[in-house]
Formats: sequence, C-alpha cells, structure tokens
Amino acid sequence: MTQELRLPWDEDPDDLYEHAPCGYLTTLPDGTIVRVNQTFLTWTGYTRGELVGHRRFRDLLSSGGQIYHETHYAPLLRMQDEVHELAFDVVCADGRQLPTLVNSTLGRDEAKQPRAIRTMIFNATERRQYEKELLLARNIAEASERRVRVLQQIVADLSAAPTEAEVAEAVVRAPEAAFGAASSSIYLVDVERDQIVAVASTDPTTGNWDDMPRSSPRAVARVAERGDLHVVASITEAKEHFPDLVDSMRRSGRNTVVLLPLTTGPTDEQAGIVTLGVLAFSFKGEHKLSDGELRVVRLLGQQAGQALDRARLYDDVRRREERSQFLAETTGALDEVYRLQPRIRRLLDRLVPEVADWAEVRLQVGAVPIEEPKGSPAPDAELLQKRLGKVAASGEAIFSGEDDALDCSVLPLTARGLVLGTLALRMAPDRRDAAAERAFLSDLADRAALALENARLYEQERQIARTLQRSLLAGELPSGDNRFAVETFYQAAAQDLEVGGDWYDAFLINPDKLAVVVGDVVGRGIDAATTMGQLRSAVRALATNGDGPARLIEGLDRFCERVEPARMATVAYAEIDLVTGEIAYCCAGHLPPLLQEPAGSPEFLMHARSAPIGSRAGNTSRTEHRRRLPAGSRMLLYTDGLIERRSRSIDKGFEILAREYARRRDAPLQGLAAGLADTLVGKDHADDVCMLCLTLGTEERIERTIGADRMQIALLRADLRAWLVAHGVGPEGRDAVLLACSEAVANAIEHGYRDDPFGMIDVVATVTEDAVEVRVTDRGTWRGPLSDVSRGRGLQLIRESMDQVLFDRSDGTTVTMRRRRGEDDE
Amino acid sequence: MTDQWVKFSTFGDAELVSLTGEIDLANAPDIGKEIVKRVQSAGKVLIDLTTVSFLDSAGVRLLDALVGDLSDHGTPTRLVVGERGAARMTLQLCAFREDVLATDLDRAAADLSG
Repeated sequence: MTQELRLPWDEDPDDLYEHAPCGYLTTLPDGTIVRVNQTFLTWTGYTRGELVGHRRFRDLLSSGGQIYHETHYAPLLRMQDEVHELAFDVVCADGRQLPTLVNSTLGRDEAKQPRAIRTMIFNATERRQYEKELLLARNIAEASERRVRVLQQIVADLSAAPTEAEVAEAVVRAPEAAFGAASSSIYLVDVERDQIVAVASTDPTTGNWDDMPRSSPRAVARVAERGDLHVVASITEAKEHFPDLVDSMRRSGRNTVVLLPLTTGPTDEQAGIVTLGVLAFSFKGEHKLSDGELRVVRLLGQQAGQALDRARLYDDVRRREERSQFLAETTGALDEVYRLQPRIRRLLDRLVPEVADWAEVRLQVGAVPIEEPKGSPAPDAELLQKRLGKVAASGEAIFSGEDDALDCSVLPLTARGLVLGTLALRMAPDRRDAAAERAFLSDLADRAALALENARLYEQERQIARTLQRSLLAGELPSGDNRFAVETFYQAAAQDLEVGGDWYDAFLINPDKLAVVVGDVVGRGIDAATTMGQLRSAVRALATNGDGPARLIEGLDRFCERVEPARMATVAYAEIDLVTGEIAYCCAGHLPPLLQEPAGSPEFLMHARSAPIGSRAGNTSRTEHRRRLPAGSRMLLYTDGLIERRSRSIDKGFEILAREYARRRDAPLQGLAAGLADTLVGKDHADDVCMLCLTLGTEERIERTIGADRMQIALLRADLRAWLVAHGVGPEGRDAVLLACSEAVANAIEHGYRDDPFGMIDVVATVTEDAVEVRVTDRGTWRGPLSDVSRGRGLQLIRESMDQVLFDRSDGTTVTMRRRRGEDDE
Repeated sequence: MTDQWVKFSTFGDAELVSLTGEIDLANAPDIGKEIVKRVQSAGKVLIDLTTVSFLDSAGVRLLDALVGDLSDHGTPTRLVVGERGAARMTLQLCAFREDVLATDLDRAAADLSG
C-alpha cells in the first residue's frame, strides 16, 4: 500500500462529507432519508441503519417542528427549491431535543420533477441560549420600564392629591401595578394621638386591619419606628422577625411581605428622616425582588412620604381655615336668636352632628337650671356628672383622650370671670379626637359662653318685664254679677324679643257702672310695662270722678305731661250703665270696638274718635258717644296685633275680624277670644295680641252652637251655668240641668257625629217661672241601638236628672229635656 | 296635662288621689291613665271627690272601672264625696255602690283600716 501524501487542505471528499462541521441529509422528495453523514449521527445518537430508508426527515422533528415543517418548510422548498436557516428542534435517539438551523435545496431532473433534497443541519444550541438570554434581558428591560411608567403615574397622582386620604389612595394602588403584588395596605402615623391608623387597602380581608399604638410590637409599627425597608421573604423569616405576620400570611397564602416606610426629610442623613406612614404589600408565592425593584420601592417610599408631608401641611391649613370659619359662622348663628333657650339649641344644632355626635349644655345660673342635650347615645350619666362637677368647680376643661371610659370632653362656659355652666361633647367618629382639637374647642366654648351670657342677661330683663306685665294684667276682673260677663285674652308675640305695651282692664266704677279699657303703649320692654301700669292706675283713678269717657281721656292727656313715656299711647275706653244698658265710649287713636247685638251684623263703633294720648299734632278735642245696647250684646275691644298683617291691608283685617266675630255669635263666651286669636293670627305672629270681650245683660233664652269637640262641652257648661245663675236656678237644679245637657252633647259627639268631627251641635235653653227646658240638636246619624253600656249610663243620667225627656230622631237627633224648678230656686 | 284636675299624696298609709274641678268626657280618659299609673302598687286607695264641681257619665265610668280593678286586686278603696254637690248627685243617680262611698277623709281612712 502506498501511503498517499496529502496536503492539509487537500481533503478526502468522503471524509469531508462524513465529518463535516454540519450534518448532511439527502432525502427523497417525500422526505425519506437516503443518505446521512456521521456528524449528524454523532449529534443525534442514531445509527445509519435506523435512519436510511426507514425515517423521513420530519419524523425526527419535535411535534411543533413537524407542524412547522408541514406549513412552512415543505411549501417553501417546493416553491423556491431552497430554504434557509429554518429553526427546528431535532429529537435525538435518547429523546433530548437538539436545537438546529436547517438549509435545504431541492434537486430536479430534466423534466423538472423533484428528484432529491439535500439538507444541511447546523447545531444551534449556543445560539438558542443566546437568543433566550436576549429575550430575558428584553423582558427585564420592559418590566423596569413599566415600573418606571407606573411610578411616574403615581408621582403625578401624588402631586395632584391634596389630602392625606387621596395620597393614601394613590399610593396603595402602586405595588400591584408596579411589582405585581397581590394586595397592599397603607397605614398612616398620627403623631398627636400616638397611633398608627390603617387608612386604605386593596384587600382589607388580608392582614390585621386595625389601628395600633405607635409602640405596638406589630411589624407595621416596628418598621415605622425604624424607618427602613423590610422585605419578609418567607414565612420562616416572618416567624423569626415579625411573628404577628405569620397568621395572616398563612391565611391569605402570602409568602413575601414588603414593609415600606413612607418617609420625608433629607435622603442622605438618617437622622432627619421622619416616617409618616407604612405601605405594606405582599406576594403570593416567594417573590424575589431584584435590586432594580428594591430601588424603585425605596423611591416610592420617599415620593409618597413627601406627598404625605405636603398633604399634612395642606390639611392643617385647611382645618385651621375650616375651624375659624366654623367659629365665625357659629357666632353669627347665635346672634340671630336672642333668647336663651333658642340660643342653646342653635349652639347644639351647630355642634351635632358636624363636630360631635352628642353634646349637652348645662347652665347653673338663674332660677331654673337648664340642661339641654342633643344627639345620641347619651354617655354614662354617673361618670358625666362627676366630670361636670369637676369642671364646674375648677373652671378647667377636661378633654377626653385615649381609653377614656366616658369618652366626653367637658369645657367650662365662662363669661365675665364666672363659670355659667358647662359644655359637654363627644366628638363625632370622623373627627379627630378632642385632645387634638383642644384649641378649637376652647375657643368655641369661650364664644358660646359669651353668647349665652348675653342671652341670659337679656332673658333676665325680659323676665322682669314679663312678670311686671303679668302682675298688671292679672288683676281681679269683676265677675259674679249676672248683668255682664268679661272675657280677656293676652298672647305675647311668637318671636317676642321684648314685652309689648298692650294692656286691658275692667272694673266697677260704682255698683251699677262698669268700665272697660284696652290700650297700647309705645315701645317695648320694662319701660313699656311700667308706663302701662301707670296709665292703668291713672285710668282707674280718673274714672272715679264719674265725668265720663271724654273727660277721662283729657285727664290722660294731662297725665302724660308728667309721665312722658305715656305720650302717644292709644286707648279705647267705655263705661256701661248696668241698669239701663247705656254705653258711653271714646277712642283715643285706638282701633274701634266691635259690637255684636243679638240680632243683625257686627258693627265697628266709629264715633268719638280722636288722636292718641298727648298727641301734639293730632286732634285732641275729646268727645264721647252714647248708645243703648240690648241684653245679649257683645262688645270686643282689641289691639292692632289682632288684625294688622304685613301681608294684608288693614281694611281686609277689619273685614275678616267682623266675619269671624259674626260666625261666633252663638259660641260660648269663654274661649271666644282665644278662638278669634287662633283664626286671625295663629301661633306664629310678630306682635302681641290683647282682647277684652264684654257680654251685656241676661239673655232670656240662651242659644249656643258648638263643634263636635269634647273640649267644647266645658265651655258650653260655663256659659250655661252663668245663665242659670242669672235666672236664679238653685244649685241642685243647676247641677242636674248641666249634667243632662253635658250628657246629651256627649251623646251627639260620640254617636251622632262619630264619623264627622266637623258636625255642629245646637243648644237652646229657656227658663220660665216653673221649669228649665234645654234642647240639644245634632244632624248626625245614630248607629244601631243604644246598647253601649257607657252611653246607656249617660242616657240614664239624663232621664234621672230631668223630669221629662223626649227624643226626636226624624232629622238627626233632638233631645228636649225639661226640669221643674225646685224649692231652692230664687 | 292632667295636673289641674288630679293630685297625688298619701293619707296615713293610703295613697290619696285628689280630684278637683270638672271631670267630663274631655279629660276623664287621661285622668284615668294617670291614676292607674300611680295606684297600681298601692295597698289602700282613697279618692277624694269633694272639690269636684262637675262629674259626668265618663267620670262615673272611670271611677267604676277603677274601683272594680282595685277590688279585683284586693286593694281596699273608698271614694270621698261630700254630703251634697255635683259628684254626689251623679254617683247617686247612677246608683253607684254605696259601700265604697264615704263623706269625709277621716271616716274613709278609718273604714279602710277597720
């Protein structure tokens, strides 16, 4: 054998083929392998015999590769006769996958029919690895970019968040978006209350979602104190450092918890750093935070801390503004009402619920101590009493703080160096606690005290005036004379700032002459009440001269030369001769009396009019007018409060008064004036109302109409009783008639008008030498027989107390009852 | 509300209910409620009607129910009404139980103790 010498680059083609640095396959157009080189066999671990004639190229590919072969490789090759750098994973004999890149060419015969495919296979293991790393790097870069974007968004949100709450809201969303955390919570440090307060969470069901004292051993409090980032990477770590986390981590399936203090202050020196809050977020599964992530987390803590700091300053400014506005508004609101009780109520209305959920004002000054609470629930009475006593005695406020069983602050109400009382309150749950509001509450109590003291002084003066006026008005009015009856009425203005100068009086000048007067003094308050008293005495004194109304008014004109405040007072004065029924009257600047005779319409007495007392410009030539009044006439004297309204003309007022008066011509005298006041002015009126109603003579026959209202039975009885007395019916007969009449009216109300509260009942009584007869009529419908035991008893009483009783049920019911006059009759 | 018509005090060991003024359909129900509230746990009850100036069937109904309830509970009760007057008349006309009526407080109290 001759050893053929070859140059290094003069290669043996067979050897080159077999051991080329790439694999070679030759396949038939259907892919069946017909030739394969050693390199390929070495890479894949197949033997030549296993492949040649037995396997197609695609049989060697992973399942994904087989699909790719189908969809790309084969069609491309057929169209272009060649393909380049297609990536396939070749499944080796031992199942391992070999990443490759494949080039193939398709050889054709003369007829251009596919003849064979030559395929060259490069080992791409290294290249794939490189690609993978490239991809990973790109992913990391993208995640970091996303985090930065999220962080930028958060920083933008933070700068727009003006309150702590909004800052917290923005921060608490960050960890999920930026780091893929499962949930996060934010806690804020409340330095004044020495608390750490849980304010927001994306999932409050995880973790221990409670406020805690700053000294708490819990992880959040510890991290807040230390001021640096803590990553609890596993439950084991939690057990070791923060045992309080273990339970909640287990329960919510968290393996990693990050505790990030939200800090402000210079970043370079540890000393100046203040922790304003803690952001806690957690991950499902153990989550390793990269250095990049940790940097961003720290950045987030600083950004959020600065935003919190800014918000706190802003909150403080705003709270101060709100408080001073609240105080100013409260002072204004208190000034709007004058009296003590309304002022106290106004104060409580301002406080509850805006500031406190319960508040109470107690005042120890004045005759009756005042105790006015508002809101609920009321605190423990005994504890409160104790604290109130302490504050009242010392004059020093006690503010409720942490762990206060009473949970109420008590402030002294001090004015002019005197403790007037106390203001107790429990702060509303959404407000900071009382200790934090110390300055505000003290300021509030001072202002309230001054306002209440002013109201109290005002009240005191008003009370004196009122008492004076009452004592003047309440003088004995003549009664017990059956020739006349007097009914009076006085109602103070609803928002009565001060006592008015309205007054009335009635007195007998001599046994047969009655004087009645209604007047109005200029001005209000104590002065008006005093003047009124002097004027009233002057009228009584002058009346005894017996010179008649005109001379009396002239006397008053002279009187006010000495008593200046009486000038311009108005007076309506009348004298009635009880024997003849003649009346003499005079009106000095006062509204005309209203007269209702038994027949006809009511009439205003327009004669004998002149100017007010002591008028310098008006007509003061005083005259009087006389006329005879038939028995049964009623005359009404009144003051302008009854008819004057801003909303209507005085003519309209006169018209309404006349109409209402006429409508009540048959109503009992008692309650008549009150009824008129009710209809004409109601309860909400701006002026005092004063009335005097006089009934003259004894009616032969009394006719009354009352509403189906059980309250009116007593009023009817009063009239009927007076009428029976006037006619000399003795006590026994009187009681019997009153009882029978009451029962008959009660029957009409309870049965006749059972379903009609607006029904009217007519009562007519007549008296003769030997009997009293009463007729009670209603127009109602009686239901069923009178089996009702109680009403049965009523009927029994009627029958027993009267001699004859007749029922007529043809149209409504008329009961006619008659009783013979007895021996005790006069 | 009912203060002007009814006042409560004690007379010896008995609860004393003093009625005054006009008792009728309009005020009897309220007065009744007020009395029941006070005498529920009393051992003995005196009801003084001597200053009642008017009493109608609603008032009688009230007294009837009151006396009935109290005797059901075994509480000794007396009504004090004057020799004459509106209350006496009405009660007599209704044939009210004479055995619970007395003419003065001392006698009524003695009755209850005896």
